[in-house]
Amino acid sequence: MADYAKTKNSIMKKCFPFLFGIISVFNLLGQTPGDAVYMGKNSICFMGAYGQSSWDKYWENTLKRENLNIGTNTTSTVLFMSAIGLTNKLNAFVALPYTSTKNSAGNLLGQQGIQDLTIAFKYKLLEQNGFRIIGSLGGSVPIGNYVPDFLPMSIGLQSPSLTGRLITNYRHTSGVYITAQGGYTGRGNIKIDRDAYQAYETVYNTSTVAIPNLADGGIHIGYLKHGLQVYSFLERFDCIGGDNIRRNDMPFPTNDMSGTNLGGYIKYQPKSIGANFRYAYTIKGHNIGQATTWMAGLLYQFKYKKDKEENPVQ
Amino acid sequence: MKKIAYLVAFGLAFSLIILSCDKEIAADNLESYIPSKLDEKAGTWKTIQAGNVADFVVAVPKPVTDPAYQKELDSMKNFISPRITPENKKAVEYWGAGVVYRWNEIARELAARYNVPSASNAEGKYPVPDAANPLADPKFPFANPPYTARALAYMSVAQYDALVAAWHFKYKFNRKSPSKVDPGLKPLLAVTDLPSYPSDAAVIAAASYTVLIAMFPGEIPYLDSKLAECKNAAVWSMLNTPSDITAGDALGKAVAGKVMARAKTDGMASANNQTLTAGMIEAAKSRGIKEPWISLESPARPPMLPNYGAVQTWNFDKSTLNSIRPILPFLVGSVEHNKELEELKSIQKNQTREQARIANFWADGAGSYTPPGHWHRIAADDCIASKYSEVRTARTLALVGTALMDAGVACWETKYYYYTPRPQQFGLKTSVGLPNFPSYTSGHSTFSSAAVTVLSYIFPEKATKYAAFAKEASESRIYGLIHFRIDCEMGLVHGKKIGEYSVERGKADCSGM
Repeated sequence: MADYAKTKNSIMKKCFPFLFGIISVFNLLGQTPGDAVYMGKNSICFMGAYGQSSWDKYWENTLKRENLNIGTNTTSTVLFMSAIGLTNKLNAFVALPYTSTKNSAGNLLGQQGIQDLTIAFKYKLLEQNGFRIIGSLGGSVPIGNYVPDFLPMSIGLQSPSLTGRLITNYRHTSGVYITAQGGYTGRGNIKIDRDAYQAYETVYNTSTVAIPNLADGGIHIGYLKHGLQVYSFLERFDCIGGDNIRRNDMPFPTNDMSGTNLGGYIKYQPKSIGANFRYAYTIKGHNIGQATTWMAGLLYQFKYKKDKEENPVQ
Repeated sequence: MKKIAYLVAFGLAFSLIILSCDKEIAADNLESYIPSKLDEKAGTWKTIQAGNVADFVVAVPKPVTDPAYQKELDSMKNFISPRITPENKKAVEYWGAGVVYRWNEIARELAARYNVPSASNAEGKYPVPDAANPLADPKFPFANPPYTARALAYMSVAQYDALVAAWHFKYKFNRKSPSKVDPGLKPLLAVTDLPSYPSDAAVIAAASYTVLIAMFPGEIPYLDSKLAECKNAAVWSMLNTPSDITAGDALGKAVAGKVMARAKTDGMASANNQTLTAGMIEAAKSRGIKEPWISLESPARPPMLPNYGAVQTWNFDKSTLNSIRPILPFLVGSVEHNKELEELKSIQKNQTREQARIANFWADGAGSYTPPGHWHRIAADDCIASKYSEVRTARTLALVGTALMDAGVACWETKYYYYTPRPQQFGLKTSVGLPNFPSYTSGHSTFSSAAVTVLSYIFPEKATKYAAFAKEASESRIYGLIHFRIDCEMGLVHGKKIGEYSVERGKADCSGM
């Protein structure tokens, strides 16, 4: 009844699905709805990856704290995804993670299961003298019937989402490039198992919960040539609205989460087989855990159909 | 150019889709109703705490022909009515759903807001909430289930007793509703033949307010605003004149004052007496308990309200409390205990989604209005679904509310009498959060069983549904992995006995029900 020590993982809970489901999921591949790297026409790339995100401190509203009844919260993800070059201008992405959570201390039961299916497309709107403007549109739907409001143990939020994104990129012939991108994610209402909940200091006598939308943006500076891609990044995401984690209470899907992550990525894929690794650290946050996140993957790329035109794989 | 057109089209399409998603969570759409019965005789019903209602003093109202009263009507018609704003109308509709109902809802919301355990400090101690400084960290009160059961019980008793008194004086003075005196008044809500002096809305508001400012002293400004809005809405709706309100306000406060006098001496002040626990543990050991409960929080948290079991009950006395206490549970190491432990381990390994749903639905944990709040909500909803009058709704909530508080007291007394360990002392985790007090018996089971025993007496046609609710609420604690089956089963048996004492009170209160 009362003395629960549940706490936060905001990033993991709310924004973890977000990070992993929408951004990080694709980030690992190096070719994502959020960057300017492209698959050539008739190419397909599969990736299998494993990663972890963990934190032992979190921001309860603005208070940075630890929680001895959580210890370190760890989310592990096995990710399957694929990028498809439908044309030289249009790429498609599909991703599905299997996620599990656990705490190193306390009594909260870890959760696990298939999370949300994400599908996204990106389209090259403009390409000139090394400059590109790309638009991307993606959506996610929950696949697993997981519990969304047992934070920070839930593996996702059960919220269907739709993301629009605009990406600008300049790549020098030396291989050095810079990308700036920004996106907006609309997130749909969810149903929880309870028929009442508290948010915004108000009791809602319903099982429907409104999830705040999200804005995010980031900058990549990197190098891409001859099958090697390396970049560092700075990313920021912000819920649009939402309430704060109450003093010593658990997080809830309505929380106003935001965070800034700093990280790096490397991929080497000289031919069809490759590998990649991504690392990120939360340098600043609000209603989220201060997470250290890594993911490593194996890639396999091939042509699913022969074509005549030249098709450089970047 | 074409590219830019694509870009714009893309942006527009995306914005349209996002904007067309409606995120609004609708407020309830409860409507005002004409009660199926006015309960004209409710002034003769027995109160719970206020004694003989004829002993309260209510000024004899001016006759409707009196110039002072005529002036009130004139002011309502020509000054107040033309100035009613859409906001005022919203308030009229909100309170029109039921004044007892709304105050019950407000109290549940306050309980939810204050239902958070304190954080440990740098010394590894848990500061105790301070009533004199209610908004400091940790806030006072910690509205845990026993606290909330008590707050809601006192408020419901005050509402009920005050309404019995109001009905007594309404039919004694028989002042008609303003629009029946002056047909020129256009009421915003349906008008019945219920006499309007003193105002029932003001009686309920003042009684509820008097209890809630004591229970939630950090919320006085908020409660002031609710009190004012509730009383104003009764005038804006043209159901009451200001003199009806003034008389109702005074009566509500007087009756609630008498109810709160009990609260001041009911033993709650020493409910958190932590010096008693060492003796309780020794006593439990002498009863055969081998492995007493320990806190599994880090740092260890003092158990919740160890002496709440000594708080005064409503519907039975101390010797009854002792005589209905559940017997010694299965002991650690016994075949039965091992079997129940195995059941939990198996659920932990293979918890189904349906088991998780049930555990979550009834969890009512931190940040919620607690199980007593949940049962008050179910009771209040069923009252308005049956178009109950205010006094009949208040009676129902008082009977359910006192049963819930009695359940809390008797369950807590049992918990600390046996001081048994939670399943987590044997390595289990939980999918709902671990309560910080002994295991046997289950509070959820006791609360639920007591509540449905009363509700099945009030609404016999729903008895099957209620029984299923109680069973599910009880088993939810097994599915959530924080109770052994014996805790839940014995809690249900105990709760039923507790509820029956409330039913006895109901049957003897001269309501004829």
